Amino acid sequence: MNKPTDFDTELARIDKELAGLDANVLAAPLSIERAMRYVYLLYQRASLTGRLDELTTAETVIDRLIAEVRNPSDLYFLKANIDFKFHRLSDVRRDLESDRELHDSPQGRALLADLDFQEGRYAEARAGYESVIRDERTWDALARLAHFESKMGDLDAAERLYTEAADELTAKQMRHYAWLELQRGLLDLTHGRREEARSHYRRAERAYSGYWMVEEHMAELLAAEGKYDDAVALYQKVIARLPRPEFKQGLGELYEYIGETEKAQAFYESALTDYLASAQRGEVHYYHHLVDFYADVRRDGAEAVHWALKDLELRDNYATRAALAWALYRADRIAEALAEINRALSAGAQDAHLFLRAGRIHRAAGLEADADRYAQMAAALNPRHQSFHVHR
Amino acid sequence: MADHNDPNAVNSIFSDIDVSAADLYDLFGFPSSDTDGGEKVVIALTFASVPETGVFDTDMLYRILISPDPRVAREQDEEHSLKSLLRYFDAVKEKYLGPSKAAEIRVTVDESQRATVKFIDFPGGSFQTVVDTNKVLNIDTPDGHTIKAYLGGRDDAFFNDLTGFFRSINYAPQFYYVPQTMTSARELKIPKTLLELEGNDLFNFDPADPDWGYLHVNGKPNGSKRELPPGPYTWTGDRFRKDENGNYRFVYSGYDCQQGKNINGIILEIPLAFITRSPARDRIVNTWGESWVLKAADKIETIPDHPFWLENPLAVVGALKLDDELKRYKLVDTDGQPFADAGLSEREDSRQLGANNFWLAPTFVKRLAHLGWGFAPSITALGLQSSFDHDNSPVSVHKTYATAVAAFPRAKRTLFQELNMPDDSWNPKGLNIPLRRSFEIFIPNVCAIDMDTTGTWPYGRRPEDQVATRFLSLFLDMSAEFNGRKYHIDLLNDMSLWAAAPIEPKTPPNPLKNDKEFLSHFPYLADPWVSG
Repeated sequence: MNKPTDFDTELARIDKELAGLDANVLAAPLSIERAMRYVYLLYQRASLTGRLDELTTAETVIDRLIAEVRNPSDLYFLKANIDFKFHRLSDVRRDLESDRELHDSPQGRALLADLDFQEGRYAEARAGYESVIRDERTWDALARLAHFESKMGDLDAAERLYTEAADELTAKQMRHYAWLELQRGLLDLTHGRREEARSHYRRAERAYSGYWMVEEHMAELLAAEGKYDDAVALYQKVIARLPRPEFKQGLGELYEYIGETEKAQAFYESALTDYLASAQRGEVHYYHHLVDFYADVRRDGAEAVHWALKDLELRDNYATRAALAWALYRADRIAEALAEINRALSAGAQDAHLFLRAGRIHRAAGLEADADRYAQMAAALNPRHQSFHVHR
Repeated sequence: MADHNDPNAVNSIFSDIDVSAADLYDLFGFPSSDTDGGEKVVIALTFASVPETGVFDTDMLYRILISPDPRVAREQDEEHSLKSLLRYFDAVKEKYLGPSKAAEIRVTVDESQRATVKFIDFPGGSFQTVVDTNKVLNIDTPDGHTIKAYLGGRDDAFFNDLTGFFRSINYAPQFYYVPQTMTSARELKIPKTLLELEGNDLFNFDPADPDWGYLHVNGKPNGSKRELPPGPYTWTGDRFRKDENGNYRFVYSGYDCQQGKNINGIILEIPLAFITRSPARDRIVNTWGESWVLKAADKIETIPDHPFWLENPLAVVGALKLDDELKRYKLVDTDGQPFADAGLSEREDSRQLGANNFWLAPTFVKRLAHLGWGFAPSITALGLQSSFDHDNSPVSVHKTYATAVAAFPRAKRTLFQELNMPDDSWNPKGLNIPLRRSFEIFIPNVCAIDMDTTGTWPYGRRPEDQVATRFLSLFLDMSAEFNGRKYHIDLLNDMSLWAAAPIEPKTPPNPLKNDKEFLSHFPYLADPWVSG
């Protein structure tokens, strides 16, 4: 019998503890400790499995407890994290403002800095991360600043911060360590350093075996390396465990990349159905995937612009501006695309994909010199920027 | 477009807080009564029995550091001033940061529960051996000594009314659900006290819920916390609470919250001649413990044991760069003196400094004064005399200090007074050994075992010492008398005192003895409870 993976072991531990909390854990009279443990476990399980429906279930319980508990600041913090995952950014702020101590806590301030980043206030985001790190040099605060630096092009700083974050983690936090290794691998991959990316992804797998997130990243790398059969097999495995639409889109794009358009279409259809069903439920977290899907899969500029504008309403940052620019480009609204991509570029982000699109838009606008310059910048950042990659 | 791949995706949201094998509980140290072949010192480091009693966490590394020294004679005309106190702290700093280096015993346990024990920088050199756990065994050293060792599960030798202590300092998380982010609601801004305060409904004993606050305690069925009521979390009364008979209500119950519980531990009986080349001169064995947890990066770089060590379980390893091993771990906890962390350092992670806690000297003075304003009026209300200058306040006061300069005059006597011992049994040779004082005990945060004593606290720490109650005696005026005898560190364990005091319940603050008899021989701590 195979040894259970780290993922299986952690999931079993959570499930065992959940089972130990009887079905009436939320019934009156409420035991606050047991109820809090219950909700933490639900949140932990959802985070572990990546299943958004479980996150929604956890949220339902959180909302109920918030109404019953006298000091719900930890619940609001959990809620803020869920709202963040679902891109409900105004709700995140409202959650954090429900309690002054939560708002001012290192955890609350880190999340506020994330909000600043998502809402395009980059100087404030950096200041926020740095302030938290001054108070508490925790791994997640260091990783947040590393992510920021990687986006803004200071790769040395990003690598240094990721290294320091990793050094803060202990053998009791191997899943977090695996996640950090994925970030470091992704940083390498987006700069064309496949071997280094592979090395990080392998470390992630050794650190925390059986994690779907590692497999999904590895599938992208395999595809980028041209190991298409392996990549397809791994994507299929991930989708069988966790049929999220973005993974289906990824596999669809891979099939299309290798010329298997019929198979690609099936996964595209399934992904789109899921995206639209989510949007119809009032969810907003797949808007940016819909932009990419309509722009690059369907080449439907008008529909891409529709979703890009909706996403921009929620999050005005360089990435959503660039997505809108690309949607406008697909809709042949080149002048508007040019204006938007220039706004995106003005944020100072250093991203090969951004520069590649900037080059295409500038070329379409007849600005050949600028187009060449952006194409060169993209190639300089990632000599392999034309190879297979997925939308994250 | 990678725009939402945030670290938040794996933020554990407070949920990683579980009982950990890194949580050090106690450090015991005393001279062994077995002097065959020379003097020996017993050192026992105890910690949470995680993953279970007798089973060690293989990600942990434990260190016991040992630094022998001569006993320092006290100057006759010593000045009792903040300046002299700071001079003392400076001297301590020099000593622990200077060239002299502590020897250490380092323990890790592998998946098969075999323990690698390294002896590093002892006078006879460094060596390591691999031993079984949960067995009493002898370790022969390269220079011809024999060290007794036991690494495994035992009964928890601490006996203490932990809930009473938390009630005395108004520590809300013991009694209420307090959100993690609500850091202002831990030690509430209510006077610390040994006697219940009139109207302190947040913490006073509730006859309708007598087990409230006793969490996960054997024999106390009610382990639930309450919802923290709306603030303000302060106290505006002006007197201690009295019942209809005019008796005060003790915040302590004397209940042993550790009864029936186990620990894992490292227990060693070490020849003094192995620790120092000058056993006749180095009469003080300073020791402290540390827990370290393996870093994540090193967990996946695990290198199999070198075959040499498997084939040669006892070998000299002086040539190895052992500090490279420590770089793979992260320091979590330190333990030297009981209550140095919980009582005086407010349990802050950043203050896990062990012997290096001289940096905290100003905090120590301020915290002692803060505690004094709480405990001393309780003591005087009972008709006893206190070492702390509280202006004869009739009731406990919540007062904090921004500077040690401001706090020092109040705490001066508490800091400098000699702590009387209950009798002469601690000093069996009748030597001229100065009585210890609180500042010497807590800074540095080491267990300083005097080899010419029995090693009872504060000359070490024996398992049978009721250290929680002895800690409270710091605030007694040691020049005062009770029943014709000078106050001493066990006075608050004296049942006749409580029988005569206007207080209920009539009990010493903490249990007088452990829930299991200690052994008279190595490993001294009692066998573990089967269900503990």
